[in-house]
Amino acid sequence: MTPTKTAWHHIRRSPIQSLTALFLMTFSFILISAFVVVNSGLSQILNYFETKPEITIFIKDGVDQISIDNLKKEITNFPNIKEVKFISKDKALEIYKQQNKDNPMLTEMVTASILPASIEVTVSDPKTLDQIYQNYATKTDIVDEIIYQKDVIESLLDWTNAIRRGGLVITIVIIAISFISIVSIIGMKTTNRKDEIKISRLLGASKFYVKKPFLLEGIFYGLLGSFIGSILVFITLYFSRNSVNSFFQPVNFVSGDLSFFSLIIFIELIFGCLIGLLASWIGVKRYIKF
Amino acid sequence: MLAVSKSPNKMKIVFDSVDKNFGLITALSNISFTVDQGEFVFIVGHSGAGKSTIIKLLLNQIKPSRGQITVDGTDLSLGTKNEIDLIRRQIGVIFQDYQLIMDKSIEENIALSLDIIKYPRSKISTKIDEVIKLVDLNSRRYLFPAQLSGGELQRAALARALAIEPKIILADEPTGNLDVENSWNLVKLLKNINEKNKTTIIMTTHNQEIVDSLDRRRIEIKDGQIVKDFTPGTTPKAAPVKKNTSSTKNDTH
Repeated sequence: MTPTKTAWHHIRRSPIQSLTALFLMTFSFILISAFVVVNSGLSQILNYFETKPEITIFIKDGVDQISIDNLKKEITNFPNIKEVKFISKDKALEIYKQQNKDNPMLTEMVTASILPASIEVTVSDPKTLDQIYQNYATKTDIVDEIIYQKDVIESLLDWTNAIRRGGLVITIVIIAISFISIVSIIGMKTTNRKDEIKISRLLGASKFYVKKPFLLEGIFYGLLGSFIGSILVFITLYFSRNSVNSFFQPVNFVSGDLSFFSLIIFIELIFGCLIGLLASWIGVKRYIKF
Repeated sequence: MLAVSKSPNKMKIVFDSVDKNFGLITALSNISFTVDQGEFVFIVGHSGAGKSTIIKLLLNQIKPSRGQITVDGTDLSLGTKNEIDLIRRQIGVIFQDYQLIMDKSIEENIALSLDIIKYPRSKISTKIDEVIKLVDLNSRRYLFPAQLSGGELQRAALARALAIEPKIILADEPTGNLDVENSWNLVKLLKNINEKNKTTIIMTTHNQEIVDSLDRRRIEIKDGQIVKDFTPGTTPKAAPVKKNTSSTKNDTH
């Protein structure tokens, strides 16, 4: 009888314990997978805002074009600048009209003269926004007002970090529960089979030989649990991604990239395998001392 | 690869001044004897005389309180776990209470012992056929121990012991739970194996009739001491005199 057959034999002979271990592992990996997806989605949202960090510097009326051009040049010299775009009063009116094309009342009353010219700066690192703000907020001779989404990003970062931390704590607790349960279940199975282990040792079986089926059993729970858990979550998300993504528009909260899913499933399988192996190792080690 | 003896075909067993105490109770006292490869030895004595303790010591289930036991040149008290495992793989054991795994069929029990000695997987089935036929259990091979009679269980235990082609067979009161006919059949089988394969047989029993039926060496134990060690037709050896040495090992409870 090979160790694999013996492990399968142990699983079949105590189906309730085996199902409990499998269910706990599956449940853990449903949570882990969900956490991975939420985390990835949050990263997408944050990334969306972080890669579109813009600061708009409104120019006072009457500032000449040379000063504006000098200002543009100065800003370009800041680090992590992606784009510096000058929006003239006419361009501002054009944009305004485009944004309010369905409301002629609003567009009729507005002329280019009442809209301020501005410089829109896009950066790759949001920290640069602060530097630009600090630098130009006091230059009231040229600058009328500076607006940027510092508050939006900060509050988003707070939320994201809170969700990540909360998710991580919940996941760790659930993994710990599964881990301890497998240690206990394998421990119980080892105790139930102490006669078999004793007989095998008397027949010359090494310690590792008698431990191997229990270790394989732990790996089985880890592998199957992680597979079922991750597949369940990813299949559900793959087919519902359009509705989820439409809610988070324009951010692509759930990726439709199959290689992303495959990679996560693969990593979870390895993780599941390691948890099962380690838990069963501890479970067996506690009881097989002879 | 099968377990390999240090000295092929020569698994000498030596008990040298062995004591075994369980707390304040002395189970064995100053036991010394040597069993050469191919011998058939009865260890005789009443219940509680210490026969099973000798078997347990030989299997390294328990350690001597004093003295030395060597099998194939390895001191069982000092041997590494690996050395002890290798020795056990060359010993076929028939326990009085069979020690078969209850939720494995007879065939699976035999297969397990073959797997432990790393018998080639492709040949396991053939080997099982062979030993099952030898002990006449073909119709019972797929049954579980709980479904077999005492005699059949003892034969199953014998089949498991024989399957590994052991150099030594330890039979601890193998006839204890058998009727007369089954007892005789088992002893005949062990005798044949001893003669044919030169397998060392150490059989403990309190059945004097069986012992007397074979002209084989017998070691008589009484109250944990050897009182006689002789082969019929030869002059009995005097019982060894207890050496006045101090205890070297801790008692095992």
